[in-house]
Amino acid sequence: MDDLNARLIGCFSIVFPDLPDGEIPKASTENTATWDSVAAITLMNVIEDEFQVRLDLEEIAELNSFDKVRTYVQQQVQ
Amino acid sequence: MISSKTVTITEALKVIRSAPAAGQTFDLAIACGFTPLHLQTFLTAHLQQNLARKVVARTALFGNAAGMLESLAGAQPDAAVLVLEWADLDPRLGFRETGSWDTEAIADAVAGAKQMLNRLCAALSRVPAGVRVGVCLPTLPLPPVFHTSGWYAGPLELELEAGIAAFAESVSRLPGVSVVNMRRLAENSAAASRLDLKSDLLTGLPYALPHADAVAAALANVLAPPPPKKGLITDLDNTLWYGIAGEVGPDGVSWDLASHRQIHGLYQKLLAAMSQQGILIGIASKNDPAVVNQVFGRSDILLSSDRVFPVEVHWGAKSVSVGRILQQWNISADSVVFVDDSPMELGEVAAAHPGIECIHFPAGDDAGAYAVLRHLRDLFGKQRLSDDDAIRLSSIRQASEFRHAAETGSAPENFLEQAEATVTFDYSPSAGDMRILELVNKTNQFNLNGIRFTEGEWHAAIGSPDTFLAAVSYEDKYGKLGKIGVMQGTRHDDVLFLNVWVMSCRAFARRIEHQCLRNLFTRFGAGRIAFAFTATPRNGPLQTFFESIGAGTEPQASITREQFDSTCPPLYHKIKELTKAAEANG
Repeated sequence: MDDLNARLIGCFSIVFPDLPDGEIPKASTENTATWDSVAAITLMNVIEDEFQVRLDLEEIAELNSFDKVRTYVQQQVQ
Repeated sequence: MISSKTVTITEALKVIRSAPAAGQTFDLAIACGFTPLHLQTFLTAHLQQNLARKVVARTALFGNAAGMLESLAGAQPDAAVLVLEWADLDPRLGFRETGSWDTEAIADAVAGAKQMLNRLCAALSRVPAGVRVGVCLPTLPLPPVFHTSGWYAGPLELELEAGIAAFAESVSRLPGVSVVNMRRLAENSAAASRLDLKSDLLTGLPYALPHADAVAAALANVLAPPPPKKGLITDLDNTLWYGIAGEVGPDGVSWDLASHRQIHGLYQKLLAAMSQQGILIGIASKNDPAVVNQVFGRSDILLSSDRVFPVEVHWGAKSVSVGRILQQWNISADSVVFVDDSPMELGEVAAAHPGIECIHFPAGDDAGAYAVLRHLRDLFGKQRLSDDDAIRLSSIRQASEFRHAAETGSAPENFLEQAEATVTFDYSPSAGDMRILELVNKTNQFNLNGIRFTEGEWHAAIGSPDTFLAAVSYEDKYGKLGKIGVMQGTRHDDVLFLNVWVMSCRAFARRIEHQCLRNLFTRFGAGRIAFAFTATPRNGPLQTFFESIGAGTEPQASITREQFDSTCPPLYHKIKELTKAAEANG
């Protein structure tokens, strides 16, 4: 597991404490009941804290799975 | 703990996740017109830190702060917050509505805002007793709705601000309502960086994250402030005044503008005011007592010696002086602050008295010393003063004279007999008398179980029709002690269950505790009193009393009337009972 993945999993586990770490990489709005609009905004802010980047709130609707979040964050931190 | 440190959203979430699993939760209602989102998260986290309890925050439909507030009339949360922004007063004053900014429309919005403030004031006055409410006034910049340039304060804008100020002044006088100090908030959250317009337009939360955190911390501090400290012990040379009195003489020390030492005068004024407001002020100084007396005899002294007790001036260790003062005050070190300009003295006192808060007075550094003055107000501040605050110093002096007379005068029995003491039992104290809850929550040594109550819990505990509540006051020929005890319980058949029983340490050694039990037996005709007793690390004096009257503590602490009568020493107090019926009969 690379460093980015590990840190993202840490962010997800703060926002979704009931989600086991092993399931986080497969998480999406489809299979995670607690991933609502409030959780999505909170997740973005936690990621901003962790990676010290400013994310665009307008992207929030597109970032509906761990994979998409990972790709987006990777672009922002490069 | 005061919430002052800025936290990130990640830290706030971690605090919330680490909430104590056991124990009662603290129910918080949030009334605001916008989506509270992270404000709710920060508020929950800060309150949880202040209270050391799990906080459950709930909101209603967004967009209706007044409606949420009005719904509280039928609810009983532990606390509520009203977080106002301009759009709550009229949507045209916000960013999310398309209402006109024409001159007439804005004049109408300002008029409507005043009506909304009246509605909010009425709703706050109907919040049930026991629900503490924190109010935060609008914090964001107004949109450019006025016809004036931004640097000009026009009449309409000033009218709006005057309405807010009048509203704040009015609600701050309501019982249970606390208003956030907007100037202090501005120190922690710069006005120009509060608004996050994109967040407002996309999510409905208008606050930048640091501002949401600052507002939440301020609200948490007015809802659940730390217990105020009770006593301050100050050094003299280079602290209460500038200069070393023993070297420059009593006329050589200074604290005024002319000598450029005004900061010491401000410190004296602060201590004088604190003393008048019921805070105990003592002196611990390595000095020549005769010289110190001459300084206090100067006509320009701003802290007169009658505002200070006790005064420990000698060449011995300050930790010993502090120990004697704590003994005279009969309070624990963690309720006391020690101020000195010498780090070495501070270290010596801190080592000898764990828990005491030692504060360095930076003589010669006006800004640093001013920060100390502000910090002292934060540590000792009270939202409301009671009648008992005004007599606290004389009461402590009285207790000391009483002890001295008891130790040195005639035989103890004669002494008590000649004290001309009156104990007053008020069985119908005012529901708004916060001194009663304050006594319950800050008394440690003579406290049945150490249980602390929120205002809501207290109102619930005393609200039941089968519950009795008595406030106990005391005075004798040495003076008044004021309200010094509280008893709360219920009666079932022949047994009186005492759930709360506290008595101020100032009232020890007068057999008031015996008189309390006698009064309960007599008034209620009970055959036995059962105590909701729990041993705590600090209620040793109560345990000693129980041993002295033969009240067993296992399996439940209790005493029969016969047991009590056979162990109770002679009591010489005159008794007064106040009840609703007595008041009605004049």
